[in-house]
Amino acid sequence: MREISDTRRRRTSTVMQKDPTADRAGGEHILACLSSSPSNARIMHTASRMAAAFRGSFTALYVQTPGSRNMSAADRERLHANMRLAEHLGADISVVDGEDVVEQIAEFVRVSGITILVLGRSSTRRRHIWGPQPLSERIRALTPDIDVHIIPDPASDSDYREGRVHVPGQILSGVSDLLIMGLILSLVTFLGSLFLRLHFAEYNITPVYILGVLLISVFTRGYACSVISAVLSVVLFNFFLTEPRYTFHAYGSGYPVTFAILLATAVITGTLAARLKDQIKLSAQAAYRAKILYDTDQQLGKARGEEEILRVTADQLRKLLGCGIAVYPEQGGRLGDCVYYPLQEDGPREGPGDREREVAAWSLRSRKRAGASTEVFPDADFLFLPVVIRGKAFGVIAVDRRDVPVDVPFDSFLLSIVGECALAIENDRNHKEKEEAAVRARNEQLRADLLRAISHDLRTPLTSISGNADNLLHGGDLMDAQTRMQVYTDIYEDSQWLISLVENLLAVSRIREGRMELRLSPQPVEEVMEEALQHVRGRGHSLRIEGRDPRGDGETLLLARMDAKLIIQVIINLAENAVKYTPAGTEILVGARRRGSEILLHVSDTGPGIPDEAKPYVFDMFYTGRHSVADSRRSLGLGLYLCRSIVRAHGGELTLRDNVPHGCIFEFSLPAEEVILHE
Amino acid sequence: MNKTRILVVEDDAPVRSLITLTLKAHDYAYLTADTGESAVLAAASHNPDIVLLDLGLPDIDGVEVIERIRSWSNMPVIVISARSEDTDKIRALDAGADDYLTKPFSVDELLARLRVTQRRLALLESSAPGESVFVNGQLRIDYAAGCVTLGGQELHLTPIEYKLLCLMARNTGKVLTHTFITRNIWGTSWDNDIASLRVFMATLRRKLESGPDGPQYIQTHVGVGYRMLKVE
Repeated sequence: MREISDTRRRRTSTVMQKDPTADRAGGEHILACLSSSPSNARIMHTASRMAAAFRGSFTALYVQTPGSRNMSAADRERLHANMRLAEHLGADISVVDGEDVVEQIAEFVRVSGITILVLGRSSTRRRHIWGPQPLSERIRALTPDIDVHIIPDPASDSDYREGRVHVPGQILSGVSDLLIMGLILSLVTFLGSLFLRLHFAEYNITPVYILGVLLISVFTRGYACSVISAVLSVVLFNFFLTEPRYTFHAYGSGYPVTFAILLATAVITGTLAARLKDQIKLSAQAAYRAKILYDTDQQLGKARGEEEILRVTADQLRKLLGCGIAVYPEQGGRLGDCVYYPLQEDGPREGPGDREREVAAWSLRSRKRAGASTEVFPDADFLFLPVVIRGKAFGVIAVDRRDVPVDVPFDSFLLSIVGECALAIENDRNHKEKEEAAVRARNEQLRADLLRAISHDLRTPLTSISGNADNLLHGGDLMDAQTRMQVYTDIYEDSQWLISLVENLLAVSRIREGRMELRLSPQPVEEVMEEALQHVRGRGHSLRIEGRDPRGDGETLLLARMDAKLIIQVIINLAENAVKYTPAGTEILVGARRRGSEILLHVSDTGPGIPDEAKPYVFDMFYTGRHSVADSRRSLGLGLYLCRSIVRAHGGELTLRDNVPHGCIFEFSLPAEEVILHE
Repeated sequence: MNKTRILVVEDDAPVRSLITLTLKAHDYAYLTADTGESAVLAAASHNPDIVLLDLGLPDIDGVEVIERIRSWSNMPVIVISARSEDTDKIRALDAGADDYLTKPFSVDELLARLRVTQRRLALLESSAPGESVFVNGQLRIDYAAGCVTLGGQELHLTPIEYKLLCLMARNTGKVLTHTFITRNIWGTSWDNDIASLRVFMATLRRKLESGPDGPQYIQTHVGVGYRMLKVE
């Protein structure tokens, strides 16, 4: 029983989360109970009006009892009509299972934070003076804190009531039940006469009949057989086993009392047994459902990504309902591609078609169920349920009604699982959003750092260019030729420097999502090195490609997979760096060699080298060396940092080591590429 | 004096004056246009020898200007692009442009491109169509015999290398895009074709060129394509 109540609580808590306005401060939460009564529509209308007046939310609850499973087709139709009406009026529909309607309502009221309960008049009247306490009284007793509104209901006959006798279908016993009853009763009567012949006392015979009635109630459905067999056992006992036998007379003065007690005992035993059976069935069902829900919950908890969540949901529903399930994810407010999970993996059934897709799209848009057994597109083969939570739709789940003719649409179970699915997707999306936000923040940080570095480095040469040009404009005539030449040279060099800065800026702009966007293609390394060196101007430095063997055979052709633009930029930066920090006339070599599945490229110089204490910092974003050998030009601290970022994006590493006898070597690796030649 | 006449199409006045100043200083004749429409008009009415065309024009796309000029003339067009995206250059080259310059360009670069194009023009004038022998520096291709010699020595080329060389030779001075070359050689233009092309081109260059001091016949434009240079 604990399990059942657990299920109930979980289910109702799902309902609560589903409610978009439940957390609205001060909002009223109105609950109306659904039933198959024709007057139920009025209750729904009233509750809806109240919800509108109070600006509260409105939930319609249906309590599924063991009896209600056997309701007539007309009642079922009316119930569904009422549910559709409630949904149309904007109610959140919830279905709970339980034996005691009042207890279920009270529990729901407590867990879902209901503030106003709307009931029909019929459920508040006592049927007879000795009839059961009306619903409203019991609910009041159980939930003293809420307002109960009672709607006058003139034509009430089949609202919530307790007791079961009126439920059609339960009285009707099958032929097999009658056979069982006949068989057991004859057996009992035979046993009785046997006892009589063996001269057992009569008090031994009455328990045998009670046992018989008990057995009958265990082996037959409904109460009818139990009651009938109780009456019949009295009759049979009287007819066969009391003096005078084979008549309905009895001599003994105690017999009427015996008959009465026998009848009472048999009736009570029978009904108790039948009830027990119902309870067992109910709790078994509840336990099964609890287990499935628990399973679903666990699987959904493990599922990563919407696709998997929807797949798990579809799988569970397919297992449970025994029918094919189609899933439409939501993608940017639109319906995604349908995935169909047929009942049999290789079943002959086809998934939903274009027409079904339109219905699903409608269901997603309106966040209402549609298709088979609803008012919207009732001739569709599928029933479409939007996966909705807090007014947001995450997709549509379609139940293949060709597989299940039974009454699935308002199964509490289906609704809870779809609800769990919506919750899981919402959590997943929230999680993803959070991660994306974190990545965005990191990117923004990186970009901001780079831009700060660059804008700092932009101002200096711009100041020099504009200032020098200004001097030339307004006082150029006064300068001697040598000064003027110096000013021209400064302007030219500063603009050259700006040009290389802009090239780096373009590389920075390729950083997206925290990563370099690479356009990889196999490139002959030699051509790349050549192209790069065309852009580097030494100040009397000798720049060349090392170990170039123009007449070499094809085998020495090195191909590496790279983003040519960016790798050229790396080589340019490394070579310019070498030019910057070495005295004029120094030899700068660019070369490449193969090592296993990688190509190693290096830029080496024979300058003074980099002191050991500076080595750990050269790749830092704002680090600039303090060499006095080279000209005292500012350096773009970004250069080496950017080089390393580009190389790392290619899956390699940029390293620095000392050259022999002096100088330094920057080396990085790129993946080698084999090309299948198309002859 | 036979001055080469150049049509400068550029909407930005400082850059236009930079180009015209350079041209004047190096003894070129020039005329200017600052929109695409006026460029097409000037090209038709003045029939310049070379067009220097900026791709970002205020009225129509530079590529459209190339297409319109190409509908009636083969005059060399050098494209100037401020965008460093290769796709713009490739679009322009595929539309019929001969060469490209990326802003910021140096004066030397501009003059070098003009010289390359002038040599191409000279080559087109000197060689009659249908001629069966191509000569470029020490390189000699005998189309009829299917034979290539470099400094009198016969070069051993694979069929693909020979086809490539012929294609480059017929378009000397013009930048050919990867797509253009692969379509001509293989008929398709898949990634693997382009990768293959790089390998063939690298081996072809090794066979043709003798080192950093020797003449360069084939120029690589990384990310764009290749060009055969006219060697004096």
